[in-house]
Amino acid sequence: MDIKKELTQGKGYAVIEIEDTHLLNELKNSIIEKINISNNFENDINFVRKKVAKMSKAEVNQCMIDLSKFNNLSEMIVNSCPKLVESLCGKELFIQRRATIVMNVPGEGQAKQWPHYELMSGISPYSYIIWAPLHDLEENSGVYYFDQKRSLEIMKKEQEIGIVNGPTILNMMSNQKPKKLNFGQAVVFNPFLLHGNIVFNSEYARIACTTRFQSSNKPLLQKNTDYLKFYSLN
Amino acid sequence: MTVATVTTDINIGPFKIPANGQNMIMISYAQKNNLAVELAIPEPMRSNALATIQWLHKERKLTRVILSSIHQLPIKKKEFEELIQNMEDVEFHFALENLKGKGKNFLIETSKEAKIFMNASNIESKEKNYLDLYKITQKL
Repeated sequence: MDIKKELTQGKGYAVIEIEDTHLLNELKNSIIEKINISNNFENDINFVRKKVAKMSKAEVNQCMIDLSKFNNLSEMIVNSCPKLVESLCGKELFIQRRATIVMNVPGEGQAKQWPHYELMSGISPYSYIIWAPLHDLEENSGVYYFDQKRSLEIMKKEQEIGIVNGPTILNMMSNQKPKKLNFGQAVVFNPFLLHGNIVFNSEYARIACTTRFQSSNKPLLQKNTDYLKFYSLN
Repeated sequence: MTVATVTTDINIGPFKIPANGQNMIMISYAQKNNLAVELAIPEPMRSNALATIQWLHKERKLTRVILSSIHQLPIKKKEFEELIQNMEDVEFHFALENLKGKGKNFLIETSKEAKIFMNASNIESKEKNYLDLYKITQKL
């Protein structure tokens, strides 16, 4: 499959296999270490997930803020898929300065991400997003994606009435089917795709990492050095 | 041991940040990093030479300087070289980029990155709706 074609002219997203799983493991272990709630002898993502699942929303938020100090996470994500990234954007990149570690707590009433386009944040339309879970996903705990055709149809309808992410989209949260991925897989997608997550039930939280990248030869939109940094693939 | 924040012209590279906003950005950064700010230095409007902090450094011996962004570094070669020469021993912090460091190499690398971004092309978002932005990506 030509992934670039699939991302720009096809569905707009693709499930990929991480090329360097050793690096992904290293990344996962660094995150476990930085979350700092695991015992020294419990260097296990499921132990951390279970602890996170019992945290309050404020504690989870604080944990995610603390993790934003992880300042080479973006490089690690990009370097775990170097061939893919180079095929999409070349070697000279703008990558997210502080990649995001997303923790989703199970159960009703927990914070959940309504459908949205990444473009809404002001990243360049030439950006791509990689989203990778740090463990095998359980049923419904992942992210759902509307394919490009459907996302653009909704975007067009909203544009005709002059809104973005209005009630139609917000009401699409239910009845979605998130992609079920295993550790070592990721989803790469373009910024025009509607995506989000739904409530899920488990004794474990879902922990994933995500970063945005684009060619440094392509134009920027609203994000600059506040959000991106220059990076050359080896 | 003097920690200073520095406000500059409202136009900071691609950003437009009023001095009050710059102060909020820098104070928030200082709090997150447990830095006690002792001095707030206003650089003059329409100048990015950072000359005032260099004069004050001679008197006050600044140890840390907090700026809002790497785009506030001097652009003119001569002014940038003067900054390096006079403030090589000062630790620079750039709040929006969450970067800090000290010395010639750090300042040169930081300035290089600012230039790469300044030289990047930009899409004027005011003139484009979401579908327009999609369409330009299809022009391969």
